[in-house]
Amino acid sequence: MRAVIAEDLYLLREGLSRLLEAHDFEIAAAVDTAPGLLAALLEHTPDVAVVDVRLPPTFTDDGLRAALDARRQLPGLPVLVLSQYVEQLYARELLADQAGAVGYLLKDRVFNDDQFVDAIRAVAGGGTVMDSEVVSKLLGRRSRDEPITRLTAREREVLELMAEGRSNSAIAQRLYISEKAVGKHSTNIFAKLDLAPSNDDNRRVLAVLAFLNS
Amino acid sequence: MAEHLVADGRRVGWFFAVLVALVCAWNMRIGNVGWPVVLEVAAVALVILWAPPSVRRAAPVALMLVGLTGILLTLSDKLASVAAQAAPGPRGGFVSAGDVVDGRAEAWHIVLLLQSMALLAAGVWLIWGKDRRLLPVPADPAATLARWARPRTLALLLPVAAATLLLLVDHGGAHPDWAGAALTAGLSLVVAWLFPAVGADLAAVAVIVLALWGTGDATAPPATIGAHNNGFPTVLTIGVDWRMALLGSVEAGAILAFGVWLVPRTIVPHARSVLRPEPDPELAGRVRQLTRTRADAVDTAAAELRRVERDLHDGAQARLVALGMNLRAAERLVATSPEAAIALIAEARQTSSKALTELRDLVRGIYPPVLADRGLADAVRALALDTPLRVETDIDLPGRADAPVESACYFAVAEALANAVKHSGGRVAQIRIRFTPDHPRSRKRPDPVPGLLRIEVTDNGAGGADPARGTGLHGIERRLATFDGILAVSSPPGGPTMIVMEVPCALSSPKTSTS
Repeated sequence: MRAVIAEDLYLLREGLSRLLEAHDFEIAAAVDTAPGLLAALLEHTPDVAVVDVRLPPTFTDDGLRAALDARRQLPGLPVLVLSQYVEQLYARELLADQAGAVGYLLKDRVFNDDQFVDAIRAVAGGGTVMDSEVVSKLLGRRSRDEPITRLTAREREVLELMAEGRSNSAIAQRLYISEKAVGKHSTNIFAKLDLAPSNDDNRRVLAVLAFLNS
Repeated sequence: MAEHLVADGRRVGWFFAVLVALVCAWNMRIGNVGWPVVLEVAAVALVILWAPPSVRRAAPVALMLVGLTGILLTLSDKLASVAAQAAPGPRGGFVSAGDVVDGRAEAWHIVLLLQSMALLAAGVWLIWGKDRRLLPVPADPAATLARWARPRTLALLLPVAAATLLLLVDHGGAHPDWAGAALTAGLSLVVAWLFPAVGADLAAVAVIVLALWGTGDATAPPATIGAHNNGFPTVLTIGVDWRMALLGSVEAGAILAFGVWLVPRTIVPHARSVLRPEPDPELAGRVRQLTRTRADAVDTAAAELRRVERDLHDGAQARLVALGMNLRAAERLVATSPEAAIALIAEARQTSSKALTELRDLVRGIYPPVLADRGLADAVRALALDTPLRVETDIDLPGRADAPVESACYFAVAEALANAVKHSGGRVAQIRIRFTPDHPRSRKRPDPVPGLLRIEVTDNGAGGADPARGTGLHGIERRLATFDGILAVSSPPGGPTMIVMEVPCALSSPKTSTS
């Protein structure tokens, strides 16, 4: 799998490269600026891009903008955005094109390399991975709103893990329930959120989106 | 050094005591006690003996002054006695008419002159002699003079000048009105003590009048004055000849010069401050307001820094210490008990995660990253998303305000929303932000700004919010006041609550928001 890395801090960039190489990724390019990122994405069209939000030249959200720009030109280009902090606003912007294959994680998730690499693979496979902090805020704030109040506590837990990009089997393992039970819970969630039956992956993305855009 | 000076001062004091005794003895022998001189010398001697070292250090100057005065008095009395021989009559002065007539004045004058010159020489020796012990010559004489020319010091001239003037105006030395002079001096002293500035001004006027009066009489032809002379030299009361006129003019000139020197140091600055036009009340109010808000801003900033310091110290810093300790323990255990080491390392990883979380929260509290990235509009939208209420935003900003203004507005909205969540019990909040260029409130100021930023935060809760009660709203108000912003709260019981904030400011750079 070919990856492009955009990170302005040398140590982190090298660390990410080594981590991905150790997990059988091929580093197509490792860049340190937003314009460099856009050029690299358009040139290499990698299987996945790992992008730091804050990049030169302005050190604000240049990385995010470059990633969104690239996705406008190459729809569905898998992008995992890393940041020192997470904002729902940015999560919404990433999810807005409804094409999936996006991730938004806190930088410290890199500490758990297995989960981190799983997340990258999930994004590369077209899934949606949102940081648990985004998800928990989302669920917390929606407490007085309509759709979420219809979910049971267990269904919320399932949705939370779903939004974090876990597969059904990972969710089952985490909650100590059977995979079949997870499937039942997700069907209930989709029903309660009025998501029309379609391909399961797409519905998972839409379930997360439904919240973010509600 | 101080001990040394005291010893020197004592020695000079004894010298004076001996001198006084000699003068008294001489005076008694010639049957004429020159009391004024004796008292003068005795006073200086006492001062030198008993005064604190700082005053004693001035002894040489006192010596010179006494010496100079003595020379001047002697010379003028000599002139007077010459005049008295020409026109005999009652006279004051320290050599009696009898002395003048019988010629003893000559000897007396010589003694006084020698004595005065000796005093002058002693002062000069003490100051400029090889030791220069008693009075260090000031490095900057002008500065020293300026230090003495303070209102309270200058005001002390008032009693002296006023009493002298009264004595002169009244009867001269012939029938001096001592009681009146004393009363005047006393009253003037009270004025000078209570109102040093006024006293100093009056003293300057009195000195000038004194000089003019003295000059007038001293230079008047003898015929017009006759037996009375109310002018300078003050010791004279009888007839005037050209030498008298010369001496009087010199004396008066010196006093006049002193009076003129006083004017720019007393009357002029006071007149300037009194005659200055009334300050513009609007401007004065603005200065007061700026002073207050500046103090508030500094306080707030200091408190923020303290909070950041405390948070770092108790949070991330402590976690990093724990992290280091865990890693060290793991290092030691890795050979003997790898499992325990792995557990410690896992714990270290969690600790570092917690440290990062704390740092993140801290940064968000200081300056939210999204505010830096996107500006007020998107930061408020992000805030709305993070708030556990349904928050509708209606924001239209054509540019970005200065970072401090953005920050103040952001935290104001955050506080208002937090209040809505905690206290209102409402389910929906609305935030409306607009910028009006050229708004009257932004133009009608001593320093006009391009426009007015208006923020409205409304919730459909129970109302009854009282800005006087909570510290939160008051904090917003103070924070906005730094930028001349205001806050108004409308929260009738039963709701809705509406908080309006207005901040005059400029917006710069084109719109960068993506939404």
